[in-house]
Amino acid sequence: MMERKVIFEKSSSGRKASYIKKPEITLRQAEEILPKDLLRKEVPLPSLGELEVVRHYTNLARLNFSVDTNFYPLGSCTMKYNPKINEKIAGLSGFTNIHPYQKEDSIQGALQLLHHLEQMLCEITGMKRFTFQASSGAQGELTGMLMIRKYHRIKRNKKTKVIIPDSSHGTNPATSSMCGYETVVIKSTPQGLVDIEKLYNATDDSVAAIMLTNPNTLGLFEENILKIAQIIHEKGGLLYYDGANFNPLLGIAKPSLMGFDVIHLNLHKTFSTPHGCGGPGAGAVGVNEKLLDFLPVPLVDTKRNKFYFNYRVKHSIGRVRGFYGNFNVLVRAYAYLLRLGSPGVVRVAQNAILNARYLSSKLKSYYQLASLKPSMHEVVFSCTKQKEKGISALDIAKRIIDFNMHPPTMYFPLIVSEALMVEPTETESKQTIDYFIETMIAIDKEIKENPDIIKNAPHNTPVTRVDEVRAARQLDIRWKKNGD
Amino acid sequence: MPYILNTEKDIQEMLAAIGVHSMEDLYAHLPREILISQPLQLGSGLSEQEVDEYTKKLAEKNTPIAGFNSFLGAGCYEHYIPAALNYIISRAEFNTAYTPYQAESSQGILQAIYEYQSYICLLTGMDASNASLFDGASSVAESVLMALRISQRKKVLIASTVHPEYKKTLQTYLSGLDFITTEVGCGEDGFVDMQALCELSSDEVACIVLQSPNFFGLIENNEQLCAAARSKGVLSVLVTNPSGLSILKEPLSQGFDIVCGDGQTLGQEMHLGGPSFGFLATKNSFLRQMPGRIVGKTVDTNGRPAYCLTLQAREQHIRREKATSNICSNQSLNAIAAAVYLSLMGEEGMRQAGLYALNLTHYLYEQMKEIKEIRFPFSSRFYNEFVWQIPNAQKVIDKLYKKNIIAGFYVGNFYPQLKDCVLSCCTEKKTKEDIDSFVAALRETALA
Repeated sequence: MMERKVIFEKSSSGRKASYIKKPEITLRQAEEILPKDLLRKEVPLPSLGELEVVRHYTNLARLNFSVDTNFYPLGSCTMKYNPKINEKIAGLSGFTNIHPYQKEDSIQGALQLLHHLEQMLCEITGMKRFTFQASSGAQGELTGMLMIRKYHRIKRNKKTKVIIPDSSHGTNPATSSMCGYETVVIKSTPQGLVDIEKLYNATDDSVAAIMLTNPNTLGLFEENILKIAQIIHEKGGLLYYDGANFNPLLGIAKPSLMGFDVIHLNLHKTFSTPHGCGGPGAGAVGVNEKLLDFLPVPLVDTKRNKFYFNYRVKHSIGRVRGFYGNFNVLVRAYAYLLRLGSPGVVRVAQNAILNARYLSSKLKSYYQLASLKPSMHEVVFSCTKQKEKGISALDIAKRIIDFNMHPPTMYFPLIVSEALMVEPTETESKQTIDYFIETMIAIDKEIKENPDIIKNAPHNTPVTRVDEVRAARQLDIRWKKNGD
Repeated sequence: MPYILNTEKDIQEMLAAIGVHSMEDLYAHLPREILISQPLQLGSGLSEQEVDEYTKKLAEKNTPIAGFNSFLGAGCYEHYIPAALNYIISRAEFNTAYTPYQAESSQGILQAIYEYQSYICLLTGMDASNASLFDGASSVAESVLMALRISQRKKVLIASTVHPEYKKTLQTYLSGLDFITTEVGCGEDGFVDMQALCELSSDEVACIVLQSPNFFGLIENNEQLCAAARSKGVLSVLVTNPSGLSILKEPLSQGFDIVCGDGQTLGQEMHLGGPSFGFLATKNSFLRQMPGRIVGKTVDTNGRPAYCLTLQAREQHIRREKATSNICSNQSLNAIAAAVYLSLMGEEGMRQAGLYALNLTHYLYEQMKEIKEIRFPFSSRFYNEFVWQIPNAQKVIDKLYKKNIIAGFYVGNFYPQLKDCVLSCCTEKKTKEDIDSFVAALRETALA
């Protein structure tokens, strides 16, 4: 196969595609307007024609697996179908071509959308208000935890620690550190739930909060959630809900009823906005009464039937980004909720659980379940039996690619050895899940019959297994004109 | 039911395979108290046609910026975006994929991000770029956190001329941590006060954050400022508009250690300010302290070139509470769009866009100078926006607005001491006619 060139190597001096019009004023050279020492001598960008660029990136696109082309059961990422109507709506010029500092009277539609979306999310979660500033789940965590920090500061509570289960996403402890808190890790029970006794013993007056994902990263619902809330609240701590796994609770249960004080929802997971190779996402952060005064500014409110940006929040933490958030992601989430309505959201949750549970029931005799508790939206297998025979979770994941499916999340949660975390989502059909099941069974058989085919997988991809060790040791993270 | 493929027959078969009777049985183990007992008030769901019609009406309640003769900038700019760009990044294999954890089935994403990183290095002159951050404001916060890690010092200086929303964001990001931030003011000419910077710099200061062109559009004395900082061992962080780097000097040669900013000007629609992306570039010596994802080039088992995520040991999913940042998802699609934009525009296109913006903005400035009521508080060393002053500026802005002209951003919103000051911007999208009609209306208003 011919080596794929980087775009820079396709440049031909003199080739150009001009896109912009020349102004009808007398053009001066930059040196005539600005001091020469402020200007650069050359712009080291390539010169390409449109066809070259389109072909280059179209061919790059074709090398990827995506939801539209492949089953993508990447656990904890909720790779559900991204409805195309949402893309069409998000592309309307009334949504794309608006400036953040335009007068409010010229963006009433956008503000109404934000206001209504907030109301819908309040209805779904039971929280009192939402902010849409955060651009991702992790930034949502930072927003929520900074609110908790300020809440304790205003109340003069001396809080230094945040409790995090060992099954948590890495973003939780990282966020806790960014807020200046010490992280206390609670070991899970053998079945993968929060160990209530350990939690009780670890919770003292210095605990600011617990950060909890529910269902947790093993796909299990923390059935003692009310007890957990009681333990934390009794010591004056707050409950942070990492909504990464909210999909199976949509329309079924509310975080507010579980005792959570602040939550984030990943709109790019549960609310169907596309993942875009890893962003843009949106982390909607919702709070109960306790934290209303701490929300970032601005919020969208109404006055005399007009929507406006409200900057008056008593103890606001300020802002976590410029402007108002990833608006065009919010447009998509809004369209999704309009389309689903109340009956639709319940069906999402039910089918998400159904698909995962079905998959688990069919595969549990081949791959060991990480927990015997009933799974919610995703199921975690531990490939230890396979590992004993010389085939790792990584090998299995790579072999799945040969069957035209994206592998599940590997080696996470960290508390499960040889973990494969499978999240089929509600938008996949029984037939697709059956194909995945058959494939997994076939791979298990191959371990005995033809292990090399697994160890050398994937076979049909543009490249074979990639040398990640070399990537880190001989760093090459940018193209240079004359090589290295 | 929209977006669900399981038929009633499928569902019954699956429930039977699981060994339960109904959907509700699937979550019968959840405590009763937390379940929703009444149906949610979200409406009964709409057909696609209804959603389409309803949201179209909502969009029509907004006036696109193209419907005005607008001179708004202030951190979000209207540029021409080649049609091919949207076509490429709308491709499902980019739009509906996730982070390229599985390198073998994500080579296209990885290469595109590697190209993005290379583009950021080419524009800034720096050695290394990450795979993107959320936006300009959070890129400043992440840059400062990075400088604090590198220097192990406790104080941060930030120029008062950095975008006020970025300053506010930095303040929020640092609010839980034990660091002290001090603002370095600007002189009457709108440039950072060099003397203040020298006085405030010390061996306790981690970094100085400068913006150039600054919030007032002015191109700072970067080299002198960086040199002054360096003499005290203070790192220099630059916030910049990457499209301006098509004509302005590359930051590395001016002495900056970290360069960051918002990539909105590289082929991103404005959509009320997001999503765009934040960029962050630095020198090789600091790259291990960089937050966020990084793509590296390597080989596969057959020795063929291949790409993968690299240096992941810095990141939250491995290092957890000791990670360089909590960032996980970034703004990859926007970063890839920037790479496509720069590829389409090319050397000549970018140079032209920069030169046209510079000329048009200075043309506007020259025309305004003819109006005697208008004053210019600052220097004329600006790129694509500048500040002007007129008595009763807010009234003037309102009067022009009635004529469908958005004169610019009222600076007093952020800097109360700068009364009656307006920040106006021209990109390559402006025409002589736009500017002439703005100036004519302005003259008329000033006379009235």
